[in-house]
Amino acid sequence: ATVEVLFPAAVMSTVAMSNGELAIVCGLWAQFWTQSNGASQYRTIDAYSLSNSAPYINTPYAELYSGALNDYQLAAQKAVTANDWSYNLMITVMRAYTFEVLVDLFDRVPYTEALQSATILQPKFDDGYTVYKGLIAEIDAALSKDFRKGSHSASQIKTDFVFGGHGNANFADQMDNWEKFANTLKLKMYLRMVNAKPSEAEAGIRGLYQKGAQFLNLGAGLNVFVDAPDKGNPFFEFEGRRLNFNNLRASYTLTSWLSKNSDPRASAFFGAANPVPSIHQGDYLIGNNAAATPVIKATDPAWLISEAESYFMQAEALERYFGGAGAKALYDKAVTTAFAQVGLAPGALITAGGAYEYPSSGTLDQKIEAIIVQKWASLFGSHALEAFFEQNRTGYPKISPVYSKDPAYVPGQLVYSPNGATGAGNFPRRFVFPDVEKSRNTNTPAEAPIYTKVWWGK
Amino acid sequence: QNRTITGTVKGKEDGLPIPGVSVKLKGTSTGVATGTDGRYAIRISSANAILEFSSVGYAPQSVAVASKDVIDISLGTDAKTLGEVVVTALGVSRAKKTLGYSSTQVSAEEINRASPTNLASGLQGKVAGVDISTTSGQPGGSSKVILRGFSSISGNNQPLYVIDGVPVNNTRPGGAAVVNSIGDLTDNYDFGNAANDINPNEIESVSILKGAAASSLYGSRASNGVIIITTKKGKAGAFKVDFSSSAALTKVSIVPDLQDQYGQGFSRANNIAENGSWGAKLDGQMRPWGSEVDGVRQYRPFSAVKNNFKDAFDTGKEFNNNLSFSGGNEVSTFRFSYGNVYSNGILPGANDTYKRNTIGLSGSTKYKAISLNASVNYVGKNTRAPRTGTPKSGVGTTFYEDILQIPVDFPIRAFEDYKNKYYNVDGYFSAYSQNPYYSIYENGATFKSDRVYGNIDAKFKASDWLSFQFQQGYDINNIVDKIWDAKSAATPGSWAGGGNDEGAVRKPNVGDVVEGSEKYFEFDSKLNALFNKKISTDIDVNGLVGFNFNDRGSRVLYTGVEDLAIPGFYHIENSPNNPTSTQSSTQRRLFGLYASATIGFKNYAFLTLNARNDWSSTLPVQQRSYFYPGANFSLLLSEVYDLKSANISLFKIRAAYGKTGSDTNPYSIYNTLTKANINMGYAQINFPIDGVSGYTISNTLNNSNLRPEISTETEFGAELKFFNNRLGLDISYYNRVTNDQILPVASAPSIGYNFRVVNFGKVRNRGVEIALSGTPIKTKDISWDIMYTFTRNRNVVLALPDGLNKVVLKSAFDAQLVARVGQPLGVIEAPVAKYDPQGRIVVSANGFPLQANDLGAYGNSQRDFIMGLNNNFRYKEFSLGFAIDYKKGGVFYSGSADLLNFVGNSANTLFNDRRTFIVPNSVVEVKNNAGQVIGYAENTKAITESNVFAYYYTDLARAIAYKSRIIDKTFIKLREVTLSYTLPGKIAKKIGAERASVTLYGRNLFTWLPKENRIIDPEVSNLGNDLASEFGEFRSGPSTKNYGLSLNVTF
Repeated sequence: ATVEVLFPAAVMSTVAMSNGELAIVCGLWAQFWTQSNGASQYRTIDAYSLSNSAPYINTPYAELYSGALNDYQLAAQKAVTANDWSYNLMITVMRAYTFEVLVDLFDRVPYTEALQSATILQPKFDDGYTVYKGLIAEIDAALSKDFRKGSHSASQIKTDFVFGGHGNANFADQMDNWEKFANTLKLKMYLRMVNAKPSEAEAGIRGLYQKGAQFLNLGAGLNVFVDAPDKGNPFFEFEGRRLNFNNLRASYTLTSWLSKNSDPRASAFFGAANPVPSIHQGDYLIGNNAAATPVIKATDPAWLISEAESYFMQAEALERYFGGAGAKALYDKAVTTAFAQVGLAPGALITAGGAYEYPSSGTLDQKIEAIIVQKWASLFGSHALEAFFEQNRTGYPKISPVYSKDPAYVPGQLVYSPNGATGAGNFPRRFVFPDVEKSRNTNTPAEAPIYTKVWWGK
Repeated sequence: QNRTITGTVKGKEDGLPIPGVSVKLKGTSTGVATGTDGRYAIRISSANAILEFSSVGYAPQSVAVASKDVIDISLGTDAKTLGEVVVTALGVSRAKKTLGYSSTQVSAEEINRASPTNLASGLQGKVAGVDISTTSGQPGGSSKVILRGFSSISGNNQPLYVIDGVPVNNTRPGGAAVVNSIGDLTDNYDFGNAANDINPNEIESVSILKGAAASSLYGSRASNGVIIITTKKGKAGAFKVDFSSSAALTKVSIVPDLQDQYGQGFSRANNIAENGSWGAKLDGQMRPWGSEVDGVRQYRPFSAVKNNFKDAFDTGKEFNNNLSFSGGNEVSTFRFSYGNVYSNGILPGANDTYKRNTIGLSGSTKYKAISLNASVNYVGKNTRAPRTGTPKSGVGTTFYEDILQIPVDFPIRAFEDYKNKYYNVDGYFSAYSQNPYYSIYENGATFKSDRVYGNIDAKFKASDWLSFQFQQGYDINNIVDKIWDAKSAATPGSWAGGGNDEGAVRKPNVGDVVEGSEKYFEFDSKLNALFNKKISTDIDVNGLVGFNFNDRGSRVLYTGVEDLAIPGFYHIENSPNNPTSTQSSTQRRLFGLYASATIGFKNYAFLTLNARNDWSSTLPVQQRSYFYPGANFSLLLSEVYDLKSANISLFKIRAAYGKTGSDTNPYSIYNTLTKANINMGYAQINFPIDGVSGYTISNTLNNSNLRPEISTETEFGAELKFFNNRLGLDISYYNRVTNDQILPVASAPSIGYNFRVVNFGKVRNRGVEIALSGTPIKTKDISWDIMYTFTRNRNVVLALPDGLNKVVLKSAFDAQLVARVGQPLGVIEAPVAKYDPQGRIVVSANGFPLQANDLGAYGNSQRDFIMGLNNNFRYKEFSLGFAIDYKKGGVFYSGSADLLNFVGNSANTLFNDRRTFIVPNSVVEVKNNAGQVIGYAENTKAITESNVFAYYYTDLARAIAYKSRIIDKTFIKLREVTLSYTLPGKIAKKIGAERASVTLYGRNLFTWLPKENRIIDPEVSNLGNDLASEFGEFRSGPSTKNYGLSLNVTF
């Protein structure tokens, strides 16, 4: 095995999960889309009725460990043996990203004892905080190496789906971008800790800025997909090519917000004129036959951290710890980038008096809400996973006290599914432990109800 | 004093002349054979001469010539006498009395009574300790044969098939390709297992070795028992022609019982494009139905269609013709045979067919001390099979999955006119399913194999007590198969293209074509030294020492492409996409050294000792040699004591102890990389991507410290015959423990692997086999033979590795087939409801039952017992026979039931007449602020009429839905009924025949199922023919029954 064949396979494995079925599930919970009334594939998700053996829990869990993480581990060993610190950084960042997805979904996962098949067959679970600290330390260690030393051949650069530019990137740019990716990932992880470990979050973020850390000014993601069977964007391959978009329909939660704001992204997201015909979230037993289908194409890129996401995070960091100077500019840039993702421009929406104008004079909470709600909308598509996490972290978009059919409903607020099995107001906050682990590892912790927040949750 | 003795040899029972009987002058090599008229003439030179008459199937007789010139004798058949000879391990014939283990021999006649096309169906219900299922109604479909229970958790549980001393391949095609790759056909196409290639008409007899003591000389592959097949050979005597021909009709046997109260619709709304019967109550009025095409809908009474499901199928045809020529003299013999099977199954048109041509040629010759035998067999097979299970999403459709979804008030058979504007791709009523007939006429799979097997066997008799044997066997199979799915998409705006009342558009299928090639080879060489020596008047020893080399492997290559450019042209290049290929190659070798000796004392006590050592290429170097011994003992009490006064003609007790060692699948030692095909469930991402190739560490962690598996078996038994052999009892008890099984055990993915190959634990099978045979009536004109078999096997998993409490063997949705310590292998677990301490069902906020935290057991796949009953009445030339097979107990998962529940076609969906109801005896949890349950309150949340359908599916009603899809698998089948008429010898002679008979037969004519199972024959499975298939079926086709007529003539 060589790093050159292991690394791209592992990266694709991470992306196929994070931007595939997990994005579908989390997009249902972030209320971008809902279960179609003409099909039943995702009803259990919209009904918050999770089974330990559900494929959308087991497949990603098993693939991320035995597909992605196991390959990263062997690739890292090979890179270290060869003193190839560039691949080492790339691998370490991707490994950290992958572990973070897992621990954010499950709250606790095996980390310190994971991936040691020769000695530990039933790894203990680590709490999220331990995993986070470990991952940040791993990234720091990789950054401390001389990863700019040497160079990569064009065919090696091509194995970097994230920044390799199909083999056309230059090695120095490639490494600059990986460093930015590493910093932005750390920023993301510190921001996740603002509720549970506020001082550590602050210290970490201040530390990044003090060192003059550069953050992503381009999207970190894969743009290698073509419209051919088994070679397209994972979300499209799953829901589109194989399930023919029979299941997902526009959610009234998102479409009512787009409509209220006359947001031109409505037609880009759903291929229908604003207001987009939609189904109230979770209302699949009644539904609306004319509801629009989300538009996700085979050739869409799959983001790990999108460019807009990077700016939204920086804006939040500036508001939280640096008095907000420059936050508006980053917010405006973020919204503009988010629109540009779908080939549009916000125009008057972000200028004074516009619906998305930055609340410069508002409270911190109002500012954070503006940032996160815009971020939420920007994560539509195969990056929906992050929208679910960020709602859990910040509480934005807000939870609606009434169902969306109620006249008092405020567009864009999340509603509790009418078929919900968890009891009113108990929104899903985490996955249950997968049967593939639970039945084979006696160290699997006792189950918490899925409406229990994860360690960093609000 | 040279003179010639003449005479006629006739059968004791029927008085007919017996041709080909060997007549030998005792103590010399002089011998002749009887002619077709049973006559012989032999020259003798001494008045003290003794003539020995022998023929297979008859008890030999010796007659002193004295002064006689004519010696006419009658030979009695040999079936139940002490002199019975059986074929044992390595093709060695031994007197049955010397065996210390249970051995069952079944004759050609018993197997072929109802003209089966394969051996397994000819054995069903006839042998104790053997569980045989026909896993599909597809002509040429697979058989599952399990001897003394399942013992391997994920390996192979099928017995080893040995033909004339040589092991042959029994692979099921499509299983060798990489799992989930395009060549993995396991759940979707049944092209039959290779043992079904053997033409049962070529079989002289079958010997079934069930236990380790009996089978261990075969080594590694015999741990699940051995089926030893002896083929027909030419015999010294006149030229003989055998001809048999049969023609049968095939009909569908068990079809689901559907509800007849509610018509098309879903959720109580009569949306016309819905694929289910959740609509309005049927009222018998003329109403429009189905799609609207050109503004017009069709009319028919709004009532359930009678026999709807049954009428969806055709009556199939099956022809089975066999012709053979044989003959020979004292020096050489030959036999040539040709067999042809043509079967067109129950699907309309020639869309499920099985064609098989078999040619066999065998011969033997002798020169001085050397004798040579050789055989070559060719099997040409051509099969067309429909897909079962679930198709690859977005590519094709499956008949069985679609037919289950047709509303009960729609006439299924009308849809066969699949080009009609109401039923075609555009006009088919449902946007959620496809016309089932479209997929059988437009999609398909063909399979063609050319297989050659046989052996060359040379014997050299070095002295009167020692001979040497060299045998070289071969089995080579070349398979090509092809699968295609039509490209189909409803025209936009047409009924199924969005022009329906729901605006739903049917998922287009892009079509595909897959070309596969599978090659299998096996070469088996043996060198034996055989000895047979009388040491003293009381003691004799016979046995063998030998060496075996086995080399076998496979080459499998599949290439496929999705999305056809030109519809209907099924060619790999016909696509804008690049084809993808998957490949696997295996080769394994094994050396074995073995020895066996039987010591006989005074002809009533026999002790056999055997041992074998194997060296297998599939095990780590340091562990590849393994040794396993065995011993068995038989004592003929009826020879020691005179039991005649007690009417006991035979009383034999036996005991055996044996081990079998077993290696593993090739390539289980070192870790491997595999091409990265990232599986997402319904979809996948396959490398290369963007011109980059990706490889991933295999998800199975191999093991370089593997040890061989060892099974240990102890067996006790007794054989009794009473009243001059009119009543017989054969009883065995066995206890087999399979230890150190080598298998990939599911592991926690967090270790980096989903499976680990390990040696672990134990599975124990214990059981009792009883065979009771009797001949209540036996006169010249009337006879009645009856045989009853009873088998009870109990298996239990004694240990699982690493403190695991279960190992999942197979799953469907949330249901799992698992191994649990202390439980039988194959417990079926699925979601169960939560109950409060008072036993009331707990429902969630939405009114549907809450699921308990852990899966619950619904039973296991193991049977309580199996019984077989065989009867044969003869009155003069007529005989009437039947065989009944009763398998009691066990449960299975039905994927057909789950779909029938989902669409509201199943009879159990009529609960409460589908009106609004509150789940009976239900409560809700009362929680405190911390979210802890502090009590229970009455549930007031109803399941509304429009939501009743959800009560039968796994999304909202997961906690209770599995009750209706995990079903009792008990059944009783009338396996065979035969009525034969044998032409009296004189009449037969007039048409130049020696024997002629006509038989009316039926196979599986009647099946009785318990009330709970209104869905499907529990024998069918599209999950292979091993342990995984014990889980049940996933939208498999129905089983079938046959009626036919056969003619057998010997010239």
